Amino acid sequence: MMITEILERALLALILIGLGFGACWLYNRIFLLRIHQRRFQLEGVRPGTPLILYFASPACAPCHTLQRPVIQQLVEQLGESLQVVEVDVLQQPELARQWGILSVPSTIILNARGEARYVNHGVALADKLLKQLSSL
Amino acid sequence: MAMTESLQKVDHTALKVNQLTIILLNLAAFILVLPWLTLLVALVMLLGTLLKRPGFGFVYSGLLKPLGWVKPEVLMDNPQPHRFAQGFGGVVMLAGAIALFGGVSGLGWGLVWLVTALAGVNVFGGFCVGCFVYYWLSRLGVPGFDRHPPLGTFPGMKPKGARLDDDH
Repeated sequence: MMITEILERALLALILIGLGFGACWLYNRIFLLRIHQRRFQLEGVRPGTPLILYFASPACAPCHTLQRPVIQQLVEQLGESLQVVEVDVLQQPELARQWGILSVPSTIILNARGEARYVNHGVALADKLLKQLSSL
Repeated sequence: MAMTESLQKVDHTALKVNQLTIILLNLAAFILVLPWLTLLVALVMLLGTLLKRPGFGFVYSGLLKPLGWVKPEVLMDNPQPHRFAQGFGGVVMLAGAIALFGGVSGLGWGLVWLVTALAGVNVFGGFCVGCFVYYWLSRLGVPGFDRHPPLGTFPGMKPKGARLDDDH
Protein backbone atom coordinates (compact mmCIF):
# COMPACT_ATOMS: atom_id res chain seq x y z
CA MET A 1 0.00 0.00 0.00
CA MET A 2 1.25 3.44 -0.92
CA ILE A 3 2.31 5.79 1.86
CA THR A 4 0.12 8.49 0.32
CA GLU A 5 -2.93 6.25 0.67
CA ILE A 6 -2.12 5.69 4.35
CA LEU A 7 -1.74 9.42 4.87
CA GLU A 8 -5.02 10.11 3.07
CA ARG A 9 -6.84 7.61 5.24
CA ALA A 10 -5.18 8.96 8.39
CA LEU A 11 -6.32 12.45 7.39
CA LEU A 12 -9.85 11.18 6.80
CA ALA A 13 -9.80 9.49 10.21
CA LEU A 14 -8.67 12.76 11.80
CA ILE A 15 -11.48 14.64 10.07
CA LEU A 16 -14.04 12.09 11.29
CA ILE A 17 -12.66 12.28 14.84
CA GLY A 18 -12.79 16.08 14.59
CA LEU A 19 -16.42 15.89 13.50
CA GLY A 20 -17.11 13.74 16.55
CA PHE A 21 -15.56 16.25 18.92
CA GLY A 22 -17.36 19.02 17.02
CA ALA A 23 -20.65 17.26 17.70
CA CYS A 24 -19.72 17.16 21.41
CA TRP A 25 -18.98 20.89 21.34
CA LEU A 26 -22.33 21.55 19.65
CA TYR A 27 -24.11 19.46 22.29
CA ASN A 28 -22.45 21.55 24.99
CA ARG A 29 -23.56 24.79 23.32
CA ILE A 30 -27.15 23.56 23.04
CA PHE A 31 -27.02 22.40 26.67
CA LEU A 32 -25.84 25.86 27.73
CA LEU A 33 -28.54 27.59 25.70
CA ARG A 34 -31.16 25.47 27.44
CA ILE A 35 -29.97 26.30 30.95
CA HIS A 36 -28.76 29.85 30.23
CA GLN A 37 -31.74 31.67 31.69
CA ARG A 38 -32.53 29.28 34.49
CA ARG A 39 -32.56 30.57 38.03
CA PHE A 40 -32.89 27.84 40.59
CA GLN A 41 -32.86 28.36 44.30
CA LEU A 42 -29.30 27.77 45.52
CA GLU A 43 -28.74 28.04 49.24
CA GLY A 44 -26.04 30.36 50.55
CA VAL A 45 -25.29 32.05 47.23
CA ARG A 46 -24.08 35.67 47.29
CA PRO A 47 -25.57 37.66 44.42
CA GLY A 48 -23.11 39.47 42.17
CA THR A 49 -20.28 36.95 42.44
CA PRO A 50 -19.34 34.31 39.83
CA LEU A 51 -20.21 30.81 40.88
CA ILE A 52 -19.01 27.30 40.18
CA LEU A 53 -21.84 24.84 40.52
CA TYR A 54 -20.07 21.57 41.13
CA PHE A 55 -21.98 18.28 40.83
CA ALA A 56 -20.43 15.25 42.52
CA SER A 57 -21.33 12.08 44.37
CA PRO A 58 -19.68 10.18 47.25
CA ALA A 59 -18.96 7.25 44.93
CA CYS A 60 -17.25 9.32 42.24
CA ALA A 61 -13.51 8.75 42.53
CA PRO A 62 -12.41 11.48 40.06
CA CYS A 63 -14.59 13.97 41.97
CA HIS A 64 -12.56 13.47 45.14
CA THR A 65 -9.10 12.83 43.71
CA LEU A 66 -9.11 15.39 40.87
CA GLN A 67 -12.01 17.82 40.69
CA ARG A 68 -12.34 18.80 44.35
CA PRO A 69 -8.62 19.64 44.84
CA VAL A 70 -8.76 21.77 41.69
CA ILE A 71 -11.78 23.66 42.99
CA GLN A 72 -10.18 24.12 46.42
CA GLN A 73 -7.10 25.50 44.70
CA LEU A 74 -9.24 28.02 42.81
CA VAL A 75 -11.06 29.05 45.99
CA GLU A 76 -7.73 29.71 47.71
CA GLN A 77 -6.44 31.58 44.67
CA LEU A 78 -9.49 33.74 43.96
CA GLY A 79 -10.86 34.18 47.46
CA GLU A 80 -14.04 36.21 47.79
CA SER A 81 -14.33 36.81 44.06
CA LEU A 82 -15.48 33.24 43.56
CA GLN A 83 -18.08 31.10 45.23
CA VAL A 84 -18.60 27.38 44.90
CA VAL A 85 -21.72 25.35 45.50
CA GLU A 86 -21.19 21.60 45.66
CA VAL A 87 -24.22 19.46 44.90
CA ASP A 88 -24.32 15.82 45.91
CA VAL A 89 -26.45 14.36 43.14
CA LEU A 90 -27.61 11.52 45.38
CA GLN A 91 -28.73 13.93 48.11
CA GLN A 92 -30.26 16.42 45.68
CA PRO A 93 -31.34 14.46 42.60
CA GLU A 94 -34.02 17.00 41.74
CA LEU A 95 -31.49 19.82 41.52
CA ALA A 96 -29.25 17.67 39.30
CA ARG A 97 -32.23 16.88 37.10
CA GLN A 98 -33.20 20.56 36.83
CA TRP A 99 -29.72 21.39 35.61
CA GLY A 100 -29.70 18.44 33.21
CA ILE A 101 -26.79 16.70 34.89
CA LEU A 102 -26.43 13.07 33.82
CA SER A 103 -22.87 12.32 34.96
CA VAL A 104 -20.39 13.39 37.62
CA PRO A 105 -18.18 15.30 38.01
CA SER A 106 -19.80 18.15 36.15
CA THR A 107 -19.20 21.85 36.65
CA ILE A 108 -21.33 24.77 35.51
CA ILE A 109 -19.86 28.29 35.58
CA LEU A 110 -22.35 31.05 36.28
CA ASN A 111 -21.53 34.71 35.85
CA ALA A 112 -22.27 37.46 38.41
CA ARG A 113 -25.82 37.76 37.06
CA GLY A 114 -26.39 34.06 37.71
CA GLU A 115 -26.40 33.07 34.03
CA ALA A 116 -24.83 29.77 33.06
CA ARG A 117 -21.89 30.49 30.74
CA TYR A 118 -19.88 27.27 30.60
CA VAL A 119 -20.49 23.63 31.32
CA ASN A 120 -17.86 20.94 31.79
CA HIS A 121 -18.88 17.30 31.67
CA GLY A 122 -16.11 15.32 33.33
CA VAL A 123 -13.05 16.61 35.18
CA ALA A 124 -12.17 20.24 34.38
CA LEU A 125 -8.61 21.22 35.29
CA ALA A 126 -7.61 24.49 36.95
CA ASP A 127 -6.35 26.17 33.76
CA LYS A 128 -9.61 25.55 31.98
CA LEU A 129 -11.76 26.77 34.87
CA LEU A 130 -9.59 29.86 35.34
CA LYS A 131 -9.86 30.68 31.65
CA GLN A 132 -13.63 30.29 31.79
CA LEU A 133 -13.91 32.43 34.93
CA SER A 134 -11.69 35.17 33.54
CA SER A 135 -13.78 35.45 30.39
CA LEU A 136 -17.04 36.10 32.26
CA MET B 1 -36.15 0.36 39.62
CA ALA B 2 -33.87 -2.59 40.16
CA MET B 3 -33.54 -3.95 43.63
CA THR B 4 -30.10 -3.24 44.99
CA GLU B 5 -29.42 -6.95 45.60
CA SER B 6 -29.79 -7.72 41.89
CA LEU B 7 -26.85 -5.46 41.04
CA GLN B 8 -23.36 -6.87 40.72
CA LYS B 9 -19.83 -5.55 40.94
CA VAL B 10 -18.78 -4.14 37.56
CA ASP B 11 -15.32 -2.73 36.98
CA HIS B 12 -15.93 0.28 34.72
CA THR B 13 -12.22 0.76 34.08
CA ALA B 14 -12.14 -2.69 32.44
CA LEU B 15 -15.04 -1.62 30.23
CA LYS B 16 -13.29 1.61 29.26
CA VAL B 17 -10.01 -0.13 28.41
CA ASN B 18 -11.99 -2.59 26.30
CA GLN B 19 -13.67 0.22 24.36
CA LEU B 20 -10.45 2.17 23.95
CA THR B 21 -8.74 -0.93 22.55
CA ILE B 22 -11.59 -1.39 20.08
CA ILE B 23 -11.26 2.25 18.99
CA LEU B 24 -7.49 2.02 18.48
CA LEU B 25 -7.66 -1.28 16.58
CA ASN B 26 -10.48 -0.01 14.36
CA LEU B 27 -8.52 3.15 13.59
CA ALA B 28 -5.45 1.06 12.73
CA ALA B 29 -7.60 -1.20 10.54
CA PHE B 30 -9.08 1.78 8.70
CA ILE B 31 -5.83 3.68 8.16
CA LEU B 32 -3.80 0.63 7.14
CA VAL B 33 -6.73 -1.01 5.27
CA LEU B 34 -6.73 -4.25 7.26
CA PRO B 35 -10.14 -5.95 6.94
CA TRP B 36 -8.79 -8.99 8.81
CA LEU B 37 -8.24 -6.77 11.85
CA THR B 38 -11.89 -5.73 11.85
CA LEU B 39 -12.84 -9.41 11.71
CA LEU B 40 -10.51 -10.13 14.63
CA VAL B 41 -12.05 -7.29 16.68
CA ALA B 42 -15.55 -8.59 15.88
CA LEU B 43 -14.66 -12.13 16.92
CA VAL B 44 -13.00 -11.02 20.15
CA MET B 45 -16.05 -8.89 21.02
CA LEU B 46 -18.43 -11.76 20.33
CA LEU B 47 -16.24 -14.24 22.23
CA GLY B 48 -16.10 -11.84 25.17
CA THR B 49 -19.89 -11.60 25.13
CA LEU B 50 -20.22 -15.39 25.20
CA LEU B 51 -17.71 -15.61 28.06
CA LYS B 52 -19.52 -12.76 29.88
CA ARG B 53 -16.50 -10.50 30.07
CA PRO B 54 -15.03 -7.57 28.11
CA GLY B 55 -13.48 -9.02 24.95
CA PHE B 56 -10.23 -7.11 25.33
CA GLY B 57 -10.35 -7.36 29.11
CA PHE B 58 -6.99 -9.14 29.01
CA VAL B 59 -5.34 -5.85 28.02
CA TYR B 60 -6.60 -4.43 31.31
CA SER B 61 -6.16 -7.39 33.64
CA GLY B 62 -2.94 -8.69 32.07
CA LEU B 63 -1.13 -5.46 31.29
CA LEU B 64 -2.47 -2.06 32.33
CA LYS B 65 -3.75 -3.00 35.79
CA PRO B 66 -0.60 -4.89 36.89
CA LEU B 67 1.51 -1.99 35.62
CA GLY B 68 -0.59 0.37 37.71
CA TRP B 69 -1.35 2.57 34.71
CA VAL B 70 -5.08 2.44 35.40
CA LYS B 71 -7.04 1.99 38.59
CA PRO B 72 -10.14 -0.17 39.03
CA GLU B 73 -13.47 1.58 39.41
CA VAL B 74 -15.81 -1.08 40.75
CA LEU B 75 -19.45 -0.01 40.93
CA MET B 76 -22.68 -1.80 41.67
CA ASP B 77 -24.24 -2.09 38.23
CA ASN B 78 -26.00 -4.46 35.85
CA PRO B 79 -23.44 -6.33 33.73
CA GLN B 80 -26.12 -7.54 31.30
CA PRO B 81 -26.59 -4.22 29.43
CA HIS B 82 -22.82 -3.92 28.97
CA ARG B 83 -22.67 -7.45 27.57
CA PHE B 84 -25.59 -6.67 25.28
CA ALA B 85 -23.82 -3.52 24.09
CA GLN B 86 -20.64 -5.45 23.37
CA GLY B 87 -22.52 -8.27 21.65
CA PHE B 88 -24.48 -5.85 19.50
CA GLY B 89 -21.29 -4.01 18.63
CA GLY B 90 -19.65 -7.33 17.78
CA VAL B 91 -22.47 -8.23 15.41
CA VAL B 92 -22.22 -4.83 13.68
CA MET B 93 -18.45 -5.24 13.45
CA LEU B 94 -18.91 -8.71 11.97
CA ALA B 95 -21.33 -7.33 9.40
CA GLY B 96 -18.78 -4.64 8.60
CA ALA B 97 -15.98 -7.18 8.20
CA ILE B 98 -18.14 -9.36 5.93
CA ALA B 99 -18.99 -6.30 3.84
CA LEU B 100 -15.30 -5.44 3.56
CA PHE B 101 -14.39 -8.98 2.47
CA GLY B 102 -17.33 -8.87 0.06
CA GLY B 103 -15.96 -5.75 -1.59
CA VAL B 104 -18.61 -3.35 -0.25
CA SER B 105 -16.02 -1.15 1.40
CA GLY B 106 -18.24 1.92 1.90
CA LEU B 107 -20.77 -0.05 3.94
CA GLY B 108 -18.04 -2.04 5.70
CA TRP B 109 -16.03 0.95 6.88
CA GLY B 110 -19.26 2.78 7.72
CA LEU B 111 -20.25 0.02 10.13
CA VAL B 112 -16.74 -0.09 11.60
CA TRP B 113 -16.86 3.67 12.15
CA LEU B 114 -20.31 3.36 13.71
CA VAL B 115 -18.95 0.96 16.35
CA THR B 116 -15.89 3.19 16.81
CA ALA B 117 -18.05 6.28 17.32
CA LEU B 118 -20.33 4.58 19.84
CA ALA B 119 -17.31 3.26 21.75
CA GLY B 120 -15.97 6.84 21.71
CA VAL B 121 -19.22 8.19 23.13
CA ASN B 122 -18.89 5.64 25.94
CA VAL B 123 -15.21 6.32 26.68
CA PHE B 124 -15.23 10.11 26.37
CA GLY B 125 -18.87 10.91 27.09
CA GLY B 126 -19.63 8.24 29.67
CA PHE B 127 -22.79 7.20 27.84
CA CYS B 128 -23.31 3.57 26.83
CA VAL B 129 -25.69 3.64 23.86
CA GLY B 130 -26.03 -0.14 23.80
CA CYS B 131 -26.99 -0.11 27.49
CA PHE B 132 -29.55 2.60 26.76
CA VAL B 133 -31.06 0.38 24.04
CA TYR B 134 -31.09 -2.55 26.49
CA TYR B 135 -33.00 -0.53 29.10
CA TRP B 136 -35.33 0.77 26.43
CA LEU B 137 -36.13 -2.80 25.36
CA SER B 138 -36.60 -3.64 29.04
CA ARG B 139 -39.17 -0.87 29.38
CA LEU B 140 -40.98 -2.25 26.36
CA GLY B 141 -41.16 -5.61 28.13
CA VAL B 142 -39.11 -7.51 25.55
CA PRO B 143 -38.36 -11.00 26.93
CA GLY B 144 -34.77 -11.44 28.13
CA PHE B 145 -34.34 -7.74 28.89
CA ASP B 146 -35.34 -7.75 32.54
CA ARG B 147 -32.86 -5.38 34.19
CA HIS B 148 -33.56 -1.78 35.13
CA PRO B 149 -31.07 1.07 35.63
CA PRO B 150 -29.53 1.35 39.12
CA LEU B 151 -31.46 3.72 41.38
CA GLY B 152 -30.98 7.37 40.43
CA THR B 153 -29.08 6.57 37.24
CA PHE B 154 -30.11 7.73 33.78
CA PRO B 155 -30.30 4.67 31.48
CA GLY B 156 -26.91 4.18 29.81
CA MET B 157 -24.99 6.47 32.14
CA LYS B 158 -22.48 5.27 34.72
CA PRO B 159 -24.12 4.53 38.10
CA LYS B 160 -23.73 7.23 40.73
CA GLY B 161 -24.06 4.69 43.55
CA ALA B 162 -21.50 3.39 46.00
CA ARG B 163 -17.99 2.70 44.78
CA LEU B 164 -16.52 -0.54 46.09
CA ASP B 165 -13.02 -1.56 46.95
CA ASP B 166 -11.52 -3.74 44.26
CA ASP B 167 -11.28 -7.32 45.47
CA HIS B 168 -10.66 -8.92 42.10
